[in-house]
Amino acid sequence: MTEVGWAKRSVPTRRDQPAVPRRVSRLRFAHSTFLVDRAPFLVACLMLAVLVAIYGALRDGVFTLEELNLDAAASMALLLAATGQTIVLLRGGIDLSIGGMISLGTVIAATEFGDSWTTALPWGIAIPVIGLLVGMTNGLLISLLRLQPFLVTLATWSILSGAALLILPTDGGTLPQGWMAFGNASLVGLSTSVWILLVLFLFWLWFSKTRLGVTIRATGSNEKSAFLSGVSITFVNVATYGLSGFFAALAALYLTTQTGSGSPTIGKDYILPSVAAAVIGGISLFGGRGGLAGTVIGAFILTIIGNLVFVLSVSSYWQPIVSGVILLVAVLASSLAERSARRSVT
Amino acid sequence: MALLEVSAVNKRFGGITALRNAAFRAEAGEVHALIGENGAGKSTFIQILAGAVRPDAGTIQFKGAPFTAQNPSAAQAAGISAVFQELSLIPDLTIEQNIWFRREALTPFGTVRAGGMRRETLALFDRYGFPIARPDREVRRLTLADRQLVEIAKALARDPTVLILDEATSALAPRETEWLLALAANLASEGKLVIYISHRLQEVRHVAKRITVFRNGTTVAEHDTDAVSEDEIIAEMLGRRLERLYPERKATATRRVALRVRGLSAGQRLAHVDIDLREGEVLGVGGLQGHGQRELFQALFGIGRARGTVELWGKPLTGHGPRQRLSGGRDGIALVPEDRRGQGLLLSKSVAENLTLSVIPRFSRRGFLSGSRERALVDDMIRFLRIKARTPDQLAGTLSGGNQQKVIFGKMLLTEARVLLLYDPTRGVDVGTKGEIFVLMRELAAKGYAILFYSSDLPELVHVADRVAVMRNGSIAAVLAGDAISEEGILKAAMSASERSG
Repeated sequence: MTEVGWAKRSVPTRRDQPAVPRRVSRLRFAHSTFLVDRAPFLVACLMLAVLVAIYGALRDGVFTLEELNLDAAASMALLLAATGQTIVLLRGGIDLSIGGMISLGTVIAATEFGDSWTTALPWGIAIPVIGLLVGMTNGLLISLLRLQPFLVTLATWSILSGAALLILPTDGGTLPQGWMAFGNASLVGLSTSVWILLVLFLFWLWFSKTRLGVTIRATGSNEKSAFLSGVSITFVNVATYGLSGFFAALAALYLTTQTGSGSPTIGKDYILPSVAAAVIGGISLFGGRGGLAGTVIGAFILTIIGNLVFVLSVSSYWQPIVSGVILLVAVLASSLAERSARRSVT
Repeated sequence: MALLEVSAVNKRFGGITALRNAAFRAEAGEVHALIGENGAGKSTFIQILAGAVRPDAGTIQFKGAPFTAQNPSAAQAAGISAVFQELSLIPDLTIEQNIWFRREALTPFGTVRAGGMRRETLALFDRYGFPIARPDREVRRLTLADRQLVEIAKALARDPTVLILDEATSALAPRETEWLLALAANLASEGKLVIYISHRLQEVRHVAKRITVFRNGTTVAEHDTDAVSEDEIIAEMLGRRLERLYPERKATATRRVALRVRGLSAGQRLAHVDIDLREGEVLGVGGLQGHGQRELFQALFGIGRARGTVELWGKPLTGHGPRQRLSGGRDGIALVPEDRRGQGLLLSKSVAENLTLSVIPRFSRRGFLSGSRERALVDDMIRFLRIKARTPDQLAGTLSGGNQQKVIFGKMLLTEARVLLLYDPTRGVDVGTKGEIFVLMRELAAKGYAILFYSSDLPELVHVADRVAVMRNGSIAAVLAGDAISEEGILKAAMSASERSG
């Protein structure tokens, strides 16, 4: 065949269709983005390793099970709240109301649990259900009123905080002795919080692979495309914020095992740290990208910073300063990774 | 009996009539082309078939029964899958997750069967000879062309009886286009119906057995492809005779070099490019897709890092970034980018705001915008380019593709830069607007503008450019001029001996 003939045939005619369309080889996929895609997470792991190394150099007994139990306990309330926040961030939203929900959860527990398991148990189940319903209401409001998640959850945060203050104006209340003992029990050397951590990991392994998990992430990645693919955005929002409220309530229950009381104002300490933990762990605020492993690393980083400040016996006001710097490093890492990826592809 | 028979379909959006008495009839086992200018109602029509839009009136018979899909899922279940122009992929999911999204096979625990999904995907790719490797790549890492292929895979995964391809080749390279056209023909020979929408009449004539022409929301003609000429089809689309698509090419180039590029290199895709673009010249950039054309345009517009020297009107060009390029005013460089909706326009802003976006400093006094001066220039530009907008305040996203492209041209012209980079400016633009764009390009050249012009459509380079620089592996393989410019010449230069076997 002459060259001219080939050129003329560059568009096939329906008269000379090949039996099987020809496979066209492509080199466009040669470049691997494995490291680039995980750069934010890897940077977070590196930062945690460095912080733990410094901590270990300053203090004995850092690399023991005992220390893991302590750090898990110190991180757990934040981690539970951040798990819900992670799901919301993957959806491309944000949930400020968890602060109100956590406060409300602790004061309900502190006023209703009483002194015996017979009253504590039903309420222990009721509080997560309340969290779920409150969160689902957030999702409904966002979808039906077509409002910004930031504003809706800011409003519900305020409402829930007020409700908590009405129920219990100051820190206090009582919880059954067994309740706190349960929170600080240990099994085969691992404390309750380490076991919760393991359960959280298992939950995430499962959840991130379910159709709902994929759909939430997909909706955060591109809402319009998800809608065109048959996703009900209302359902996704209700599920996402419902889960967030549920985890906030779990965080409240966990907090009560540690403090032994209810606090109508404690929740506000978890709103932005829950976002920070997720972002430090590599979760994109634009939705669609990241996982719980990153959030766990992020929460541990924030906890270790607290430990370090304590060990160094400097002013505790250094803690937010260091946390802020770490947050900046994390955000920079994801940004640089994204830029380099873009360069290598286009 | 026809597989698909549509009659007397009407559809209005607010005050605008999109379809009026539209009719369409197609048999199983054919590739049936649907053509018309942008705004002729093709998109609305296929959205109705795809279940995304419901008609106000009319009947649709599919497989001999009334077709009443309420949503895309229902239409797909009935056997009609559409590959839309507006991509429906999820950037952060992988290729395979996208293809099977919401239809994944699940384990008893409710999780997605990853292994099964991989097997199904590879089987699908194999069956249709998809030119895609690595189904685990995330879609956001893919080029526009690859995303288009994934979109097609997603539609085919539903094993449709009717496959609708809406401008599916507009993002594809020649070889991928060839593959898709062969695929369409194969599907038809298997007894499927392929509804093929394209502005490229050459493709349409090659692949389609029958052609239905839409104009102003109405079906104006249906032909056997063999029984009708290209000119007749264009006349039916436009409702008038188009004198000629390509304007006369007068030699307006002077000896003065507007843009001198020496040894320009960037990344792995651009190596030692030398270019002399003259005042009054349209210099075409050709070659197979992915051989450095995109990188060349980006480097010249100051995006990313590049080595080498660039002289603009005799002065060395330094610095980075579009802002620097545009800041030159009459001595600057302006770009019509590849991705009209993503890079060229703010879809949710008005036509006026888009036009003046690059030149805001000129309208501002002490940081505040001066409305009246802006408005006067905007009105001039809308008139000059004949942009069909109801008012300058109409949102850019609601314009037809051709008019969106005109807004981008207007935005570029308002910068007053006289070196213009046009990256595939007619992609997905209707034939009438294409003609206007070519006329405009020649007019600008006659006024002393210097234009670098890349097109994925070979005939455009042949008929519009004064010279054509053909790129291969990131370098200029040949510069064709005069009679040497032909489709064969460009293709020959684009493909080295080693690549021809592919």
